[in-house]
Amino acid sequence: MSRLTFHNTTLHLLLALLTGLGLGLAYSWFISPVTYVDANPAILRADFKDQYRVVIAASYASTHNLPRARARLELLNDTDPIGELSAQAQRMVGLGESLERVQPLAQLATDLQQGFASVSPTATHFTNTNIFNTPNIETTVDELSATQTPTNQLMEEATPFPTLSFEQTPLVPIQVTTSTPRPTFTPIPRPGGPFILVGQDSICEPGLPSSLLQFILMDGRRKQVPGIEIIVTWSQGEDRFFTGFKPELGNGYADFVMQADIIYNVRVVEGGAFVPNISAPSCTDPNGVKYSGGLLLTFQQP
Amino acid sequence: MTSSNLIKIAIAISIGIALGLIYGWVIDPIEYTDVPPNILREDYRVDYVLMVAEAFQNDHNPETAARHLASLGSEPPATITTSALEYANRNGFTQNEILALQNLLTAMQMIQPPGINNP
Repeated sequence: MSRLTFHNTTLHLLLALLTGLGLGLAYSWFISPVTYVDANPAILRADFKDQYRVVIAASYASTHNLPRARARLELLNDTDPIGELSAQAQRMVGLGESLERVQPLAQLATDLQQGFASVSPTATHFTNTNIFNTPNIETTVDELSATQTPTNQLMEEATPFPTLSFEQTPLVPIQVTTSTPRPTFTPIPRPGGPFILVGQDSICEPGLPSSLLQFILMDGRRKQVPGIEIIVTWSQGEDRFFTGFKPELGNGYADFVMQADIIYNVRVVEGGAFVPNISAPSCTDPNGVKYSGGLLLTFQQP
Repeated sequence: MTSSNLIKIAIAISIGIALGLIYGWVIDPIEYTDVPPNILREDYRVDYVLMVAEAFQNDHNPETAARHLASLGSEPPATITTSALEYANRNGFTQNEILALQNLLTAMQMIQPPGINNP
């Protein structure tokens, strides 16, 4: 009997403990969860990350400071920042966004891919290409003290260094003592003369997607040009896209998948080059089986 | 049930609640993954405003700048920019960066916040 009473009491206590645990969890997870007030960009909602990238690219279009743009993109913690930029640019084109808004993203993706800014940062308002205040997710006050020592020593010779006394991870306080005169603004070079079709090559490679229409646009120095709009029209539709959204294949590269037995017309918007009557060529593989091959159109400015 | 048992049960519930709170707030708190920019840490917010200011130096489009700043919260763009400028001054931003923020502030002060009608 006493054993039964003991078991009963223990069961009650266990149930009471579990009830309390459940109440505590419910309160801490649902009624009053931990409130985030110091979030980092990596946990932003996807649409806000998109906007963050747009702002990074717009800033880069002004400063041409590639290391800083790269550091800012790293804050978003994307596994493939360049791919994300390209994908977002393509999504924006698909949604009908203006070239003015899309081109900075494509330009930044292209410059990150090639590893240098298309336009020198010294020609803009902002002259410090490698010293900047972009916060770093991983950086703490102690790490700052350790890693910034050489820079700090140089700067302390000129001006007193601010005390790192705030609770949150601070920006790297950097004093630039030399006054740099504001240079004149140099715009991004725009394409010059009209693009002329200089090559039209059938591509019969079974490994490539069938009926792939590829474009390469180059300037007069045979340097590939990103951000050029191409319009492909056919009897029942039209598609518009830009070069440079696949920087891994070339800054002036773009492609389009054709349908077999459909005739297409191609127009390069800037410069007005027009190529009519394009269709997928017929190819034959080593076994004698026919398939739709690809086509490479190469345009160049004079 | 005796009163001593009731006390024991009350103590067990209290211990359970305490354990639950510790687990829910400290050990495994709710992880936020889709947050809006208005809860970004201050230095990230300021860097965002600085990016908007840098972009404004290039496109001179106050509407676009105000639209970008609006994602940082319901405060007027000028207030957001003022806070960023104060932070920049406190934390030794470069002259160019402060100048960019000042230019943005000037432009944002000219923007009429939405919802406020002119007399």
